Amino acid sequence: MASGDQGTSSPTDSALDVNILKEIAKKDLVDALNSVSGAKTLVLDASLAGPLGLVTVVSLLKGQHHGVDKMFWLESGPLTSSTANIVYICRPRISHVKVIADHIKRHAKESRKHNYTVLLVPRISTVVSRILEEEGVLGDVTISSYNLQFIPISEDVISLEHENTFRELWVDGDETVIFDSAQALLTIQRLYGPFPQIIGKGDYAQRLATLLTRQNSKATSTSSPDRRQSPTSKIDSLIILDRRVDMITPLLTQLTYEGLVDELIGIKNSHVELPLSLLNPPTTGPTNAASTSTPANSTATPIPVVAVKKDTKKKHHLTTATDPLFAELRDLNFSSVGKKLNKVARRLDEDYKTNLQTKTVAQLRDFVGKLGGLQTEHQALRLHTGLSELIVPLTRTEIFNKSLEIQQNLLASYEITAQLNAIEDLIAQGAEMQIVLRLLCLASLTAGGVKVKNLESIKREILQAYGYEYLPLLLSLGVPSLGMLLPNPLPPSTSSSSSALKYPFASLRKSLRLLIDDNPEALDEVENDISFVYSGYAPISIRLVQCIAQKGGVISNPAEKEKTGNEASNSAEQRLTFGKVQAHPIVGWKGFEDVVATIPGQTVEIIQKPSNKVTPSGPLAAVAKSTGGGSKKKLSVFNKFMQREMTRLKETEPDMAHKDRFKLATTNWKTSKENPKVT
Amino acid sequence: MQEGTFFYRRQQCYSIPGKLPELDDYVIAGCRYGGPIALMRDQTKLLALGRSTPAITKAQIQVYSPAGEGLLIFSWDQSKIIRFGWTIDEQLAVLNEEGVYRLYDLQGEYQQHSLGTEAAELGIIDARIQDNGFVALTTSLTLLEVKGWEGSRPLTLANPGLTEPPHSWAVIPPDLNISRHVEVLLSVDATIHTVDNLESVDQRLSQGPFTHISPSPNGKSLALLAFSGTLLVVSSDFQRSFAEFDTLAVAGVQGPVKQVEWCGNDAILVTWTSLAVLVGPFGDTLHYTYSGSTFAITEIDGVRVLGEDVCDLIQKVPASTLSIFKPGSTSPSAILYDAWESFTKKSPKADESIRSIRPELAKAVDECIDAAGQEWEPHWQRRLLNAAKFGRGFLEFHNPTDFVHMGQTLKVLNAVRYYEIGIPLTYLQYNYASPSRLITRLTARNMHLLALRISGFLGLKPDTVLKHWACAKIMRSRPTTTGVGKDAELGGDEEVCRLIVKKFKEVGGVEVSYADIAKKAWEVGRGSLATKLLDHEPQGSDQVPLLLSMKEDKLALIKAVDSGDTDLVYHVLLHLHKRLPLGSFFRLLEEGGKALIPAGKLLEVYAREQNREMLRDFYYSDDRRVESAVLSLDEASRMLDQASKITAVKTAQKFFSEDKDRSFEAKMTDESARLLVFQQQLESEANGKIKFFGLTVNETIRTCLLNGLSKRADKIKSDFKVPDKRFWYIKLHALTESRDFEGLEGFAKSKRSPIGYEAFVHHLVEKGYPKEAVPYVSKCDSPKRADLFVKCGEWRMAGIECKERNDKAKLDELRKRAPNSLIARELDQIATTMK
Repeated sequence: MASGDQGTSSPTDSALDVNILKEIAKKDLVDALNSVSGAKTLVLDASLAGPLGLVTVVSLLKGQHHGVDKMFWLESGPLTSSTANIVYICRPRISHVKVIADHIKRHAKESRKHNYTVLLVPRISTVVSRILEEEGVLGDVTISSYNLQFIPISEDVISLEHENTFRELWVDGDETVIFDSAQALLTIQRLYGPFPQIIGKGDYAQRLATLLTRQNSKATSTSSPDRRQSPTSKIDSLIILDRRVDMITPLLTQLTYEGLVDELIGIKNSHVELPLSLLNPPTTGPTNAASTSTPANSTATPIPVVAVKKDTKKKHHLTTATDPLFAELRDLNFSSVGKKLNKVARRLDEDYKTNLQTKTVAQLRDFVGKLGGLQTEHQALRLHTGLSELIVPLTRTEIFNKSLEIQQNLLASYEITAQLNAIEDLIAQGAEMQIVLRLLCLASLTAGGVKVKNLESIKREILQAYGYEYLPLLLSLGVPSLGMLLPNPLPPSTSSSSSALKYPFASLRKSLRLLIDDNPEALDEVENDISFVYSGYAPISIRLVQCIAQKGGVISNPAEKEKTGNEASNSAEQRLTFGKVQAHPIVGWKGFEDVVATIPGQTVEIIQKPSNKVTPSGPLAAVAKSTGGGSKKKLSVFNKFMQREMTRLKETEPDMAHKDRFKLATTNWKTSKENPKVT
Repeated sequence: MQEGTFFYRRQQCYSIPGKLPELDDYVIAGCRYGGPIALMRDQTKLLALGRSTPAITKAQIQVYSPAGEGLLIFSWDQSKIIRFGWTIDEQLAVLNEEGVYRLYDLQGEYQQHSLGTEAAELGIIDARIQDNGFVALTTSLTLLEVKGWEGSRPLTLANPGLTEPPHSWAVIPPDLNISRHVEVLLSVDATIHTVDNLESVDQRLSQGPFTHISPSPNGKSLALLAFSGTLLVVSSDFQRSFAEFDTLAVAGVQGPVKQVEWCGNDAILVTWTSLAVLVGPFGDTLHYTYSGSTFAITEIDGVRVLGEDVCDLIQKVPASTLSIFKPGSTSPSAILYDAWESFTKKSPKADESIRSIRPELAKAVDECIDAAGQEWEPHWQRRLLNAAKFGRGFLEFHNPTDFVHMGQTLKVLNAVRYYEIGIPLTYLQYNYASPSRLITRLTARNMHLLALRISGFLGLKPDTVLKHWACAKIMRSRPTTTGVGKDAELGGDEEVCRLIVKKFKEVGGVEVSYADIAKKAWEVGRGSLATKLLDHEPQGSDQVPLLLSMKEDKLALIKAVDSGDTDLVYHVLLHLHKRLPLGSFFRLLEEGGKALIPAGKLLEVYAREQNREMLRDFYYSDDRRVESAVLSLDEASRMLDQASKITAVKTAQKFFSEDKDRSFEAKMTDESARLLVFQQQLESEANGKIKFFGLTVNETIRTCLLNGLSKRADKIKSDFKVPDKRFWYIKLHALTESRDFEGLEGFAKSKRSPIGYEAFVHHLVEKGYPKEAVPYVSKCDSPKRADLFVKCGEWRMAGIECKERNDKAKLDELRKRAPNSLIARELDQIATTMK
């Protein structure tokens, strides 16, 4: 499921200060821990380690301050604790509770007495107490909760960091996460004011919106009258997209820098696991063991937290806060990352060199002042160069390229039978199952199902090659609620409801302008359009957000539009929005009702309060966030500058080649006053 | 009332001659914040039998308001009462020796909780009750703490290691402690032990033992009265001693000290029968005589003393009042007040006075407003407010909020202080405890109209009042007995429901939860009224618990699902699963239709982890073949025993075959079972030396090939119809792995490769056998050969290939890419031979 919210960003101040959320989460954690007095042993659900790591440095909890003596992962097997208090922090999963019950029973058998506290995330659950009761240990446990809600994972992206959501919703039918999301969104409303509008698409989006509005009426009724807030200017609208609306995008291979790191190395809770040699300054010829680095996640390994740092790999937090270079790189198409790195390297080199020529003491002082910055940049550069070197060989493999080719062909609905055969070849060659399944589902979704004969033969291939135990998985992919892998035509016995779930990809491709031709003339267009992230394919979810907030961007080529826009007006206001499709006050799905109606699932459009006329006060930047798949971030200062600069240059130097213009623009960036490094 | 520089005053709140019984004969508990007192006859005292005193054998507790009005009387039918006291919500907590405690509200309704069986067996000998919980002392001299009043599990505090009960003891509540945990002070021998949930610490005092230990309202200081009659005042961490005072030296003392209570946070009131002595911070005293015995209740800003005929409030004179009324005071506020008085007397002195304090006028006005709040009599309140108003007139900018607010507050305070209401609340206490608490206190006394008026006056929501009113209404109204049987009762219910709904609509309290009221109705046994009220409840989730207890199972489940709160759904499911027979439980879910699908799914999630047997039954009873099959497969995947695994797979196969749309899955599970059997056979052929069981088809073939069982591999290929392409890849990989290059060559020649020969070259090079790859290059398409040779490191052969194909461009490219000069020269040579 993906939900998105959208904030305004006026030219002067950045959107919402989501760091408050982090502070709240941190404080709640500390409070929860302090509610148990004295020294305690902390037992942590491994799946929470990542999210908690984004909120606070988990190891800091140790020591006197919060009384945490030792930390362990929550795992079956004996637990030895020297402290009287044992605190468990976990999600309310049945398996976890059983482990806890087992610990308590073991301790009782060894007649060791402890005080047990279970902090459930995000709230107390009846099932947990029931199971503890069935295990006969309910009386020994104090159950409490730690309400961990949205975690900011970037300055413009917040997430619940809830694992397995997709499976829970669409396979198990467990809607807990919807309720939790509604609760978390209520918190957001309390912090930033109510959402004037809720716009969305998909059945679960509808469910979430209903819960939210219902709880809203409850929330306002309990607050005293003077607290009744007026519609705020902080948030224009909440956009909820349920993952069912766009199953296609996560099946494709992400092609941005960050996307590829995720595909090939694996990013989890904003952390990536890297060879130690990449992270520590003294590097010795890194990348030969590259091809063997698989995304092994040591979070699952049942060892004390302290021991995570063992072996040669280390988790690294990929964040733009400490790594400005990453901010520039993360959303670049991988093809241009090399160039970018090269440029930064050269600039760094020059910076170091100019400093050699310092003559006066004042100059020297300036240099020393800058030295720290240069070194962190140097360090970042080394990291990202190393990371790219890790990735490049992986992108050169035959299977990787073959699968890209199949993806592109399927998106264009080009020779589907040939693509199916190609998928079969991939199985024969022993490609990873995940790649094969993604392609197969993609084929089913884009073509509205796969011919029964072909489908069965491929399924059979998969079962034989990867094991018959995957039969339930294949069945799950085909259940009506998911419908990712369907036969064509559908068997007559299936109800009409599931046939209505067929995804109208072919018509969307046209109406939402999903595919951009990669002919040379369109190159410009690709640069300005979101489709650059998949080298020519625009994610449906992003297009849907554009349908709401940037209608122009869906209909036509932003670059062209820009030209006419510039001619029309040259005011300062206009200048600020160069290079970008002008966003507009949000009026729901207006103009795209027909398109949206063809997508299966309910359409949501709720106005929470009679909104004050929202006046367009500058460009609105869409911040879309998805818990399911990749995410699209707001443009960085640099991106904005470049877009603006490019259009300006296009005007002033119409004869210049695109490449040169780009070069000139980047040179200007160096001296631009918007550049945070130029002060 | 002057004593050095501190002033204390005694304010008579109520005159109550003859309203209270003789206090000496009773055990008394007083409630803070101007609350009521509870009395129970002291069993240890002799009682003269006579006409005036009715002989009561049973324990009986009486509750009086500070104005001496009897609020409640109830008798106790359980075992001996150990102690009773007031909670922060003005509920009377009564604890007996078996560890059972009840919370009585002012209407005599109670909730009962227990300290658990362990405590009941041991027995409780004493307890200290404070605002948010209590600490009980068991017969084994251990301490049990109960937090809050929701009947939470008692917490055992650290063992103080006592051998006999303490001489006296006291509790500092958690919210007053730095550690935020409760602290118990026990007087043991000459010293005091402090006990919290972690440890017991001896404070090493020598002046004890102590007969009274009394913590100040802010928990920062302690008043200790030793047997010797010395009163000690120390900080609660025992680090500093503030004062020492000999109570025996007080003139006119008779008998033992009755109470040591704090007056605010800076003075201590020590009482004897008919005498109360206020001990100031520096040991100076004030004497108050009373006729008969007294009872003192500490307040945050003073101490309330109940005598036989009065209810007094003794407090330190507030700074603002002092600054205005202190004799000879020349503070701006005093001058302002004086100016106003002159003004009312039409004296020109007023103007002069105002002028003289011009710069400080604003402060003076504020002080007058504040002083007004400290006054008990409306007369003085009015005068001070008038003075403030007068001063305001000379100010250009002055925020009137405080003034208006004070006026409003005083109106409210005066109203509740009225003797019929009897809540002698001071301004400070009112602010401390918040207006909404005052409202609840009024509703608890069933003073709904006043509560409603006050909440309206203060702009608070009427919800709480209305809710309480409705509940009271339901309690009071009995179903009308006129008419015959059921009809009559329905009529009564209708009436009450209509009344309540109408009232809510009138007042506009639409947000009152009908579910809560309905619950009340249900509790008093009026089911049909509850149903009627529930119909008005807009919040589905609130209806659920009541619906459950009313056994409206399906409705409860539907409402729970609708609320979106999965935990609530679980709550209902687990509850029903426990209560209903399995069959009807399933039927409920199956017949629920679309609305209950999410509930069914949640049950599956739960059962999959916790109760598989039930899940199997559930699927079976609903004819869900596919799910049954998947469940069976899932179980197979967890089984270690080969035979039972095969059986489980076969069971799944059977389930699949019963569904005509699942013939593919049936076929696949059949294959799977066949494979397992075949693998068993392979293992036995290999005498168990090679592991086959549970491998995939691909892995089985590979393992066969690696172990030289190529015949077997071929058999699997034909049995399982493995396509040529896949088979060739597997064999290529396997033979490479076992470095059987001859075998590979033979295999390559066995027939035309369905995967081409490039794959051979690529794989061999990748695995590090470029030499072995060379022979296969010549089998590839000629245009690619040059590059493939390069891949194998055979630059010369690549060059020759180019020459043969007469591809000069390619050769040039190779020359550019040549890794070293030797190769470059060789390539150059070849180039020269070309032409």
